[in-house]
This record gives sequence, C-alpha cells and structure tokens, in this order.
Amino acid sequence: MKQVRQFLAIIMLSIVSIVLLSACGSNNNESSGKGVTINILQGKVENNTQFKQIAAQYEKSHPNIKVIITSVGGGSDYLGTLKTRMSAGDEPTIFSVAGPSEVSQFRTKIADVSDTKAAKLALPDTLDAVKEGKKILGLPFNLEGYGFVYNKEVFKKAGIDANQLKTYDQLLAAVKKLNAQKEKLGIKGVFSLPGQESWVMTNHLGNVFIAPDFNGNVKTAYTSKTLPLTRAKEYKRMLDLEANYSVGNVMQTDYSQQVSQYFGLHQVAMIQQGDWIYQTVAQIDPKFAKNGIGMIPIPVDGYAGKMPVGVPNYWAVNSTRPKKEQQAAKDFLDWLYTTDQGKKDVVDLLHFVPAYKGFEGMKMQDPLSESVFQHTQAKTTTGWVFNGYPVSWEADTLGPDVQKYLSKVMTWNELVTDAKQAWANLQSTK
Amino acid sequence: MLKTKSKAYWLFLAPALIGLLCVVIVPMLLGLFYSFTDWNGLFFTKSVGFSNYVAAFRDSGFLNAFWFTVKYAIAVIIAVNIIGLGLALLVTQKIKGANALRTIFFMPNLIGGLILGFIWQFIFVRVFAAIGTALHIGALTGWLSNPQTGFWGLVILTIWQMSGYIMLIYIAYLEAIPREIIEAAEIDGTSPWQRFRYITFPMVAPAFTVSLFLTLSNGFKVYDQNLSLTNGGPYLSTQMLSMNIVRTAFTNNKLAYGEAKAIIFFLVVAAISLLQVYFSRKREENLS
Amino acid sequence: MSKHAKNWILGIIGLVLGLLWLFPFYLIITNSFKTPKGIFSSVIGLPVGGTFGNYTQAWAALDFIRSLFNSLTITIVSVVLICLASAMAAYAIQRNHSKISNVILMLFVAAMLIPFQSVMIPLTTIFGKVQMLNIPGLIFMYLGFGASLSIFLYQGAIAGIPEALDEAATIEGAGPGRIFFTIILPMLNPMTVTVAVLNIVWIWNDYLLPSLVLPQSGYTIPLQTFFFFGQFTKQWNLALAGLMLGILPVVVFYFFAQRWIIKSVTDGSVK
Repeated sequence: MKQVRQFLAIIMLSIVSIVLLSACGSNNNESSGKGVTINILQGKVENNTQFKQIAAQYEKSHPNIKVIITSVGGGSDYLGTLKTRMSAGDEPTIFSVAGPSEVSQFRTKIADVSDTKAAKLALPDTLDAVKEGKKILGLPFNLEGYGFVYNKEVFKKAGIDANQLKTYDQLLAAVKKLNAQKEKLGIKGVFSLPGQESWVMTNHLGNVFIAPDFNGNVKTAYTSKTLPLTRAKEYKRMLDLEANYSVGNVMQTDYSQQVSQYFGLHQVAMIQQGDWIYQTVAQIDPKFAKNGIGMIPIPVDGYAGKMPVGVPNYWAVNSTRPKKEQQAAKDFLDWLYTTDQGKKDVVDLLHFVPAYKGFEGMKMQDPLSESVFQHTQAKTTTGWVFNGYPVSWEADTLGPDVQKYLSKVMTWNELVTDAKQAWANLQSTK
Repeated sequence: MLKTKSKAYWLFLAPALIGLLCVVIVPMLLGLFYSFTDWNGLFFTKSVGFSNYVAAFRDSGFLNAFWFTVKYAIAVIIAVNIIGLGLALLVTQKIKGANALRTIFFMPNLIGGLILGFIWQFIFVRVFAAIGTALHIGALTGWLSNPQTGFWGLVILTIWQMSGYIMLIYIAYLEAIPREIIEAAEIDGTSPWQRFRYITFPMVAPAFTVSLFLTLSNGFKVYDQNLSLTNGGPYLSTQMLSMNIVRTAFTNNKLAYGEAKAIIFFLVVAAISLLQVYFSRKREENLS
Repeated sequence: MSKHAKNWILGIIGLVLGLLWLFPFYLIITNSFKTPKGIFSSVIGLPVGGTFGNYTQAWAALDFIRSLFNSLTITIVSVVLICLASAMAAYAIQRNHSKISNVILMLFVAAMLIPFQSVMIPLTTIFGKVQMLNIPGLIFMYLGFGASLSIFLYQGAIAGIPEALDEAATIEGAGPGRIFFTIILPMLNPMTVTVAVLNIVWIWNDYLLPSLVLPQSGYTIPLQTFFFFGQFTKQWNLALAGLMLGILPVVVFYFFAQRWIIKSVTDGSVK
C-alpha cells in the first residue's frame, strides 16, 4: 500500500503543478486590474490581424480598457462556438450576428444599442434587420455589394463597355462576343461558376431575383409565409448563362478556384462575386487587383444599374454582462465608427465600406469597395434579403436543389416547386 | 487476483474512471436529458417526449446520411484493415528501408484531419484533372463533382491516413510473435501462405479485434475529413452522420433534435461494435 | 523463388507504396515555398525562385514559440497522464475477473463510440461552471476522452503477461502497487510506445476541442494555423509553411520513438 500512496502523491503533485502553471498563465490574461475587459467574438478570420491592430490602438488611447479579439474560423462553426461559449458562461461582451434569425436565436442575450452614436448615424435601411420596435439590437459591421467582377483589359480588348451592360440581352450579346474570341483574348472561358459554393448561386444570385418579391426588405422576407418566386424564369436564365459559358467543370469548382485561379490568373473575363474578393485577388496579383478590375450590377429587369448592397454582419452587445462592460463595449463601437481615428481604421485597415454617415468624401482603398461606396452614395442599390431566408432553407433545400439542377438530376420546375413548398413548411412551423 | 473489494482495485481504476465520468458519461446523460426537451443550447422551456426521436426517423437528410455513412464505413473497414495489415507485413520483413517506410506510412497521421481534407481536395481537383487531361483518362477528371467520386474520394483519403495507424497496431502484435516459431516452420518446409495462415494469422487475431473496432468507430464518427474534402456536397449526397448532426444542431439551431440524432447514432454504432467485439473475441478463442 | 529475389520484389513494392504515400507531402513541401500566385499557376511543379518568406511570416503569425510551448505542455502532460491512468485501470480490469470489471471495460469501450459533437455543449457547460476552461481543464478532458482507447489497447497487452508473475511477487511480499510499477509497467513498454504515439498525434493535431476550451493565451499550433483558413479564403502558402513548422516536432519525436520501439521489442525477446 505504501507504493500506492507514493504513486498517488506523485499524481497529486503533478496535477497541482499543472494547475499552478496555468494559473500563472491565466493571471497574465486578467491582469487588467480595475479596468474593464471587452471580449469580442467574431467570425471573419480574414480580418483577425486588422481587428487586433485596432484593439491595440484603442487600448493605447484608453488605458483602462482591454480589448480581446477572438476570431472563429477554419473548421469550426461560428454559431456553434458562440453557443458553446454562452452556455459555458465564458460569454463575449460583443459578438456578431448575421440577420433576423440569428438575432432571434440570441435575443435573450442582446442589449438595446439605440442609445449609441453609431446607431443614430447608421444609414437608412441598414438597421431594418435588427429593429424591434424602438429597440435596435445590432450595429452594422459594414456594407458589402456584389455583381459581376470583370477583367478590364479583356473587356477593352473585346471592345465591350462594361457600364453599358444593363439588361440581360446586352449581357448575353457581350458574353457571346467574348466567347467567340476566347483565344484572341487569352481566356479559357467567359465566366467561372463555383458549383460547390451553393451560396454564390442561392444567396447572391437568388437574392436579386427573390428580393423584388419582398421589396428588397429582409424583415418582409423573414416573416413571409410563402415564397412567390415570380422571377423564377429570369433566375434560371441567368444561372444557365453563367453555367453554360463557364470554364472547367462547374460542379468541381469552389470559391478559391473561381477567384484565385480562374479570375486571379486572368483565365476568365468575369465572375459573379462581391467586393470581399479584393484581398484574395490582391494576394495573387496586386497590380491586377488595384488597377485591372471593376464591378457591375447583375442585370435584372426593372432594376437596371442597381447593385444589391447589404449588411453581412451586425455587432451585438451582450445584455447579460455587467453594465460597466456593456457601456465600454458601446463606447468602443462608437469610437470605431464615429471618430476620425476609428473611421480611418475602418476604411484603410479593414477595407470596409461604411454603413454610417460621416464618411462622405473618403476614398475607399480598392476599386471594388469604391464601386459599392459609389452605388451607396448615389442610392442606386437594392436590398439583401437572403439573411431573411428561413433557417436551413438554403442549406437543406435551395442550395442542394440548385446543385442537383446543375448536375442535371433535377429540372428547374421541380426546383421551383420544392423551394416554395419547403419555404412554406419552414415558415409555418417556426 | 485484485479483489473487487480491495482498495487497490479502486485506486487503480480511479483516475481513468473519474476522467471518463466527468468528461464523457455525465455530459452524455445530460445530452440524453436534453434530447427530450426543446433545449436550444442556452435553456429549455418544456419536455417534448419522444418527438425528436420520431422526427429523426422521418428526416430524409438524416436517413440518407445514415446510409452513406454505413456504406463508407464498410468500404473503409475492409480496405483499411487489408492495406494496414499488408503494410505491417511488408515493413516487418527484412528489406532495405523498412524503418523509413514505417515512418512514411504513419506520417499522414501527423496532420490534422481538416488540413488533410483540404490537401486531398487539391489533389483530386487539380492534380487528378491535370493527369487525366494529359493522359486522356476521363475517369480522372471531375472528381468530387458527383456523389460517386465524392464517396471514393473520402474512402481514398481515409485509406491514405488510417492504414498507417492500423499498421502500427498490427506491428505491435506481429513483433510479439517469437522468431523461433517462424524459423522452425520455415525449416519444416512450409509455404509462406501456410505460415501466414497457421502461425501469423492466429497470433495477430487480437489485433483484428482492436483494428476492426477502431476502423468501425472512426469510420462512423468521421467529421473533419468530410467537412474539408466535400463539405457534404454535391447536394448533400456525401453528408455523413456527424455532419448532419452538427448542421442540425448549430446551423439549423435545433440542438435538442441534434442530441436526439446523436443518441440514435450512438446506440446503433454501439450495438454494431459490441456485436463485432463479441464475435471477434469468440473467433480468437476458436483460433488459439 | 529465392529469398534474394523475394526481398527485391518486396523492396520495390515498398518503394512504390512509399512514394505514393509521400506524394501529398511533396505537394505540401514544394507549395510551402511558393507565392500565392505560384500555387495557383502550377500545383505540381517545383517552386520557381523559392522563398523562405512564407516561413518567416508563418513563424510570426503563429506566435510560434508560445504556441509550441502550449502544444508541448498540453501534449506531454496529457499523454503521460493517459498512459499511467490507462495502464493502471487496464491492469485492475484485467486482473480482476468479476462482472464489475467487465461492465467497466464495456463502459470505456462504449465511450469511444460517442460522437464528440453530442457531448460538446454539455461538457463545456459543466467545465465552465467550475472555471476549468483552461489548460488544466483541457488536459483533464483529454484524460477522459483518451483513456478508453488506451485501456482497450493495454488490456490486451496485459492479458499476455502471465498472472503467475504477479502471484510469485505477492508471495515474496510485494503489494499491488509495487508489482504494477516494478514488474508490469516495464513489461508494457512496447504497448506504451504505441499508446503514446497514437495519443500524441491526436492531441497534437486536435482542433475542435481546444478551440472551445482554451483562452487565446493558451492557443496551440493548430489553433493558430487556422487563422490562415477563412470560411472561403485560404492562405495556402502560409498555411502550408505553418503546417510544416507544426509537424516538425512530431516527426522528430516519432523518429526517436521508433528507434525505441524496436529497441524495446528486441530487449523483450532477449529476456
């Protein structure tokens, strides 16, 4: 028995030493003393470094505040991580939510931010998704817009003026023209459609044809019991065009092939994407990204020249944290979007297109953001409704169905019926 | 020897058992409880009886994922065990570079499953296509773009990764076979096949039990590779059980429902594996 | 067929299979020296004008020294605890022929089949309540998750050690503790190496569990590597260089461990 006791003593000792060891580690973490710590959880890993730079800057000018940024990405699911942290009591002060359905999931944890300066300066319509009576449950990260991102040089060589492609017929003529002189232009295809990324075809392309049913309002879509899908034919026409004139095997193509390989290496004339691809293209070919690309809206009947622009994510302040911490969180967000230094960081570091007033006259850092910014300033935009699709409708129905359609195992009519039915089912059981 | 009542018995068991209870058993029971409620990860309001379980059996996505996982697991169990044993036999021969080969075959396990999946996606989509186009082999193009190549892609990735793992287990048992027995059999003029069948095979039988069990449980539980290689696509045709459960729970925000699916999943896999262990142990006894 | 010819054929088979197995590593290594553009222009080719830039950048972005320290602490402590606790438990189970032992063994085996995702939230909730979402908490979780497989493997190995050995020692007046630590544990060395290797590769590469449990100051190498993987965009050049940096310690370890495996096996047969 002596040995057993000795052994247990060893185990106890090692456990105690680990605890002590890590206690030292975590002490450093919480050494902020009397100050306030703001924990931020967000899902844009791409901006992790920039957010950390901004946090460091803020800490410098606000010595009592500590800002800890945690970015979730790669293999883990942002919502899963957020839920886990919440239920474990390891709750962030600020977290991001994407739209009405995520707001309702975390409703009990979200504080009203209508008293912030930023909320008052937010552009009209950008708060639609997070309004609840007079309460405002989130502050927009930024604005994003999408359309056809094109290679300027290829268009020029082919003698096409991108800004004149306002209707489907004009686009079709241009596509045929590009396709006919592929070899001369040095391209392998007109488009690259990433069949593996259903969201490109359902959230983005689908949105421009579904939004008119709901007047472009995300809340209307979110609460609608049925999906009219009156523009199903137009939707099919555009999807077919992109698929038929796409390079390579559509169902094998993913985002990184579409953007980095086919578009980044000048192998296609245009791709249906948004201003967020700038950094990715710049990694491949910085000169091309800076000077060689532009973006035009997807032609939709009756909405010529209008670009779908929306808010991808909102910052939510956690209502279950101490009041002092919540206030510090609001102050931080106000600082970010309403002070000169903050605004500069938003535009220059994060490459964000601002969703707030007070940025007039500022120059965006890249041509795609600039294009979104211009459309916003000129009010030639339409709304994003896809964050108001019923939860799981895209993931379980429209997304797989579009892939089936492209793989020719489902007809378009079947897709339309299925999509409408699933929408109605999901909305009736919500 | 060690009496159930003795202090030593429980002291020896205590560290592992306490760990298991706190980390697996209690959370699992909690999950079981949640599966009968409308739990959303933060709180629950009412009991819903068996309705989550009933819903799971009517959920075509869940059932499809189930069959796909079964097919995948069968392919993986057979292929990985045959190849793993083959590799183990190969590297325990007196050939040049046997040690280097051991390291090489095991090396895929040094990379996490997510990154492995990304790398193989690269290989299937880019490298296969390049070779296929150059040599005009149609079968090498279009990988991962349809359910069949998605399935085989997952199987190939798993073989590449897991064979070395299983090899390691077979080696541990192969090397325990005393040389003298094999040498004696050689002198007696037995054929290599006879030696394998009547000496090696019975001696590594316990390894079969372990390896079959491991491939089975890993085959059913696979998630990372599934996520990064095919992400369930095209059109959810390669979505496996774990992925279906994760998506139900987190993407669709039905955590209680996800727990119910996980419990069903666990019960089925546990039943299959326990049967497998029972029968292999029986076979082992018959063989020895 | 002569022995010589047989070895030749086997050698060639080994070579071909080895190359097949190494091919993905060729891709990882060559591409880790390419620029982003280089990776997308030609995946298979050798890097044109190779650059170490990826490595220096990845080194900095990974906060390599600190992450390495975290990874080492977590892996080493967890694996030592798992090996000890599992060998002890397996010994107790194997040397006690009661129904209870059978039930406990089944409990451990069944636990291997539980999908991690189903215990994820309850587990972190419990550990969060007792302030254990940190490195010690993670190590404890690894003990719970890792014990099953390790006990399963040890139990088979202990079955191969004759009980007569224990009995003889008992007659000489040794208690169970002394028997286990001075007689049984050393004899389990080959299995311990296997168990350790399997647990090391799992814990070293684990992503999901530590991502939920660790605060940023405790981030391991895989957690840092995933900053190169956005939801859609992947910085392949940095990710691959980071991957190489992360694999290196394990490869070195595995090389040494392997010598030890062979040594312990031959030692065992000499005795």
